[in-house]
Amino acid sequence: MSGSIDMRVNLAGLELRNPVTVASGTFASGREFADFVDLSRLGAIVTKGVSLGPWAGNASPRIAETASGMLNSIGLQNPGVEAFVVKDLAWLAENAATTPVIVNVSGHSVEEYAAVIERLEDESGVAGYEVNISCPNVDAGGMAFGSECAPAAAVTRACRAVTKRPMLVKLSPNVTDIVSIAQSVEAEGADGLSLVNTLLGMAIDAETRKPLLARVVGGLSGPAIKPVALRMVWQVSNAVAIPIIGMGGVMNATDAVEFMLAGATAVAVGTANFVDPTVTMRVVDGLVEYCHRHGVTDVRDLIGGLEA
Amino acid sequence: MTLHAPECAASVQPGQFVHLRVATGSDIILRRPFSIHRAYGERVEILYQILGTGTLLMAEKPVGDESMDLVGPLGHGWRAPEGIAHALFVTGGLGAAPLGMLAEQLAAHGVAVSVAMGAPTKERLVARELFENVARQVLVATDDGSDGEHGFVTVPAARLLAEERFDVVYTCGPEPMQRAIAALAADAGVPCQISLERLMACGIGACLSCVVLTVDGLKRACVDGPVFDAAEVTWKS
Ligand SMILES: Cc1cc2nc3c(=O)[nH]c(=O)nc-3n(C[C@H](O)[C@H](O)[C@H](O)COP(=O)(O)OP(=O)(O)OC[C@H]3O[C@@H](n4cnc5c(N)ncnc54)[C@H](O)[C@@H]3O)c2cc1C
Ligand SMILES: Cc1cc2nc3c(=O)[nH]c(=O)nc-3n(C[C@H](O)[C@H](O)[C@H](O)COP(=O)(O)O)c2cc1C
Ligand code: FES
Repeated sequence: MSGSIDMRVNLAGLELRNPVTVASGTFASGREFADFVDLSRLGAIVTKGVSLGPWAGNASPRIAETASGMLNSIGLQNPGVEAFVVKDLAWLAENAATTPVIVNVSGHSVEEYAAVIERLEDESGVAGYEVNISCPNVDAGGMAFGSECAPAAAVTRACRAVTKRPMLVKLSPNVTDIVSIAQSVEAEGADGLSLVNTLLGMAIDAETRKPLLARVVGGLSGPAIKPVALRMVWQVSNAVAIPIIGMGGVMNATDAVEFMLAGATAVAVGTANFVDPTVTMRVVDGLVEYCHRHGVTDVRDLIGGLEA
Repeated sequence: MTLHAPECAASVQPGQFVHLRVATGSDIILRRPFSIHRAYGERVEILYQILGTGTLLMAEKPVGDESMDLVGPLGHGWRAPEGIAHALFVTGGLGAAPLGMLAEQLAAHGVAVSVAMGAPTKERLVARELFENVARQVLVATDDGSDGEHGFVTVPAARLLAEERFDVVYTCGPEPMQRAIAALAADAGVPCQISLERLMACGIGACLSCVVLTVDGLKRACVDGPVFDAAEVTWKS
C-alpha cells in the first residue's frame, strides 16, 4: 500500500515500520483495540504506565470534557509490573510480536523507576522504555520529577544505569523552559524524548459550584493542546540531537505531518483513540497518501522539514 | 431515537450499550454512551433525555441524518440464569431503557415478569407500554403522585418482594435507588443485578475513566459492566 514510499523511521535505535505510535494510557496494552486495529500496522505500541507495585489511581469522577479536549485524573491506575508481565506482555508477545513494545514507566521515587526497568530487563518482549516524569495526576513522583532539571536528570541517570535498551523520557509541558529540561535529560543518556504529556487544567460546574474532577485538577489532552505541543516539539528539536515522539491532539494524518515538520521522528495518537478506535489506521494510511501527494519517497524527509 | 446499525442489531445482548459520536470537528469530541433499549431488523432503538450539549445536538438531528456513527454493541449485559421462573424489574426514570429487550426476551421464554416502575412525574415514566405488553403486572410510583402511587418506587418494590417469590431482581435507575433495591433484594434473599452509569471516554476498557469499586477491586463499567451483581459492588458510604 505504501508503494514506493519508505515509511520506516529509526527512533532512538528502534526500527519502526512507520512513524505512527500510540500515547501511553490511551491504548491500554493494545488488547482492547485488537478488534479495531491491526496492531502489526503500528510503528510501535506504547503501553499505559507501569509501576513497581499496584496503584489504585484517583477517585471518580476522573474525566471531564472541555472545549476541544478532555481532562483526566486517572492517576496511573495499574496492577504493577508483575501483573503487567504475566498478563499484558505475554498477550503482546503473542498478538503483536512484530511491533516493538515500548513500556511506559512510573515511580514514586527514583529507585522505583529503576526497579521497574530492572524487572523488565529479562523480558524479551520489551523493545524499549518511556520514562514518564510528567504525570500531573499523582502526588508523589510524576510531574515533580519532570518540572526541574536536577530531578529529571537524576531519574534519567538512575534508569540509564540499569538498561542499555532504547530509553525515551517523557516530558511535561507544565514548565517554564522545556528546552533546558530536555537538554539535561539528553546529557544523562536519554536516547529520545516524548513530547508532551498533558497540560495541567481544571473544570468547574457553575450550577453546582463544584469541580468536575474529584481531584479538582487534571491533565488536559486532545486538539486543544496541539498548538502548545507543536511549539514545544519545534523548540526542543532545535536544541537536542536525540529523536522525539511528538504528541498532543493528533487526530488525523495532517496533524501527524505537522508534528514531523516541527521536528518529531514519530508521532503518538492519544485521546483520538477514544473518539475513533480505528484512528491509528487512518493516520497511517493518511500519511502514506500525504507522501504520495507531495512526492515524498522517504517519510524521514518530513522530519524537521518546516519551511520557516 | 432509532439508529440504522445492522451489525450491532444482529449481535446485541440485552443490557449492552452503544457509544455514539454526536458531532465531528466541534467542541464536543467524546462519544456518548446510551443503552440499547430494543433491537429489531437492522435497527437499534435508544431512549434518551436531553442533559447537555451532546444530547441537545442529538435531538436536533433530522430523520435520516448520517452524521452520527456508533461503536457497539459494547459492555456486559444482563445475565438470565437457567431455570428462573419469576423476575422482578425495578426501574427509575430512564433506567427503564436498558431493560426493554430483556423484558421481551424473558417473557418470550415463558418467564413471568413483574415490574415496579418509578419516576419523578408521570411524563418521565418511559417504556411503560412495552412493559405492560409483556409483564404479568406493572406497578407505578411517581414522586409527585401524578401517576400510580405517591412516592418512591422502592415502596411497591418492597411490597412485591415481601408478597411474592422471585428468582432474580433486575434494576436500573439513579444510584441511590439501585442501592436501596439491592438492599431489599439482599434482605429477601434474591440475587440482584444492577446497571451502573459512569462517565466514559473510550467505552472499550482502555482509559480507566469508568471504574467501579467491587469486592474484587476496581472494575471497568464499560467492559466488566455496565451490569454487575449487586453483591459484588462496594458502595461508597
Ligand atoms: C452505560 C451507559 C448507558 C446509558 N444509557 C443512557 C440511556 O439509555 N439514555 C440516556 O438518556 N442516557 C444514558 N446514559 C447517560 C448518557 O450517556 C448521558 O446523559 C449523556 O452522555 C449526556 O451527554 P450530554 O452531552 O448531553 O451532556 P454533557 O453533560 O454535556 O456531557 C459531557 C460528558 O459527560 C458524559 N456524560 C454526561 N453525563 C453522563 C452520564 N450520566 N453517564 C455517562 N456519561 C455521561 C458524556 O458522555 C460526555 O463525555 C448512559 C450512560 C452510560 C454510562
Ligand atoms: C486517559 C489518559 C491516560 C493517560 N495516561 C498516561 C500514562 O499512564 N502515562 C503517560 O506517560 N501519559 C499518559 N497520558 C498522556 C498521554 O500519553 C499524552 O501524552 C497526552 O494525552 C497528549 O496526547 P493527546 O492529546 O493525543 O491525548 C494519558 C492521557 C490520557 C488522556
Ligand atoms: S470508558 Fe474507558 S475504560 Fe471504561
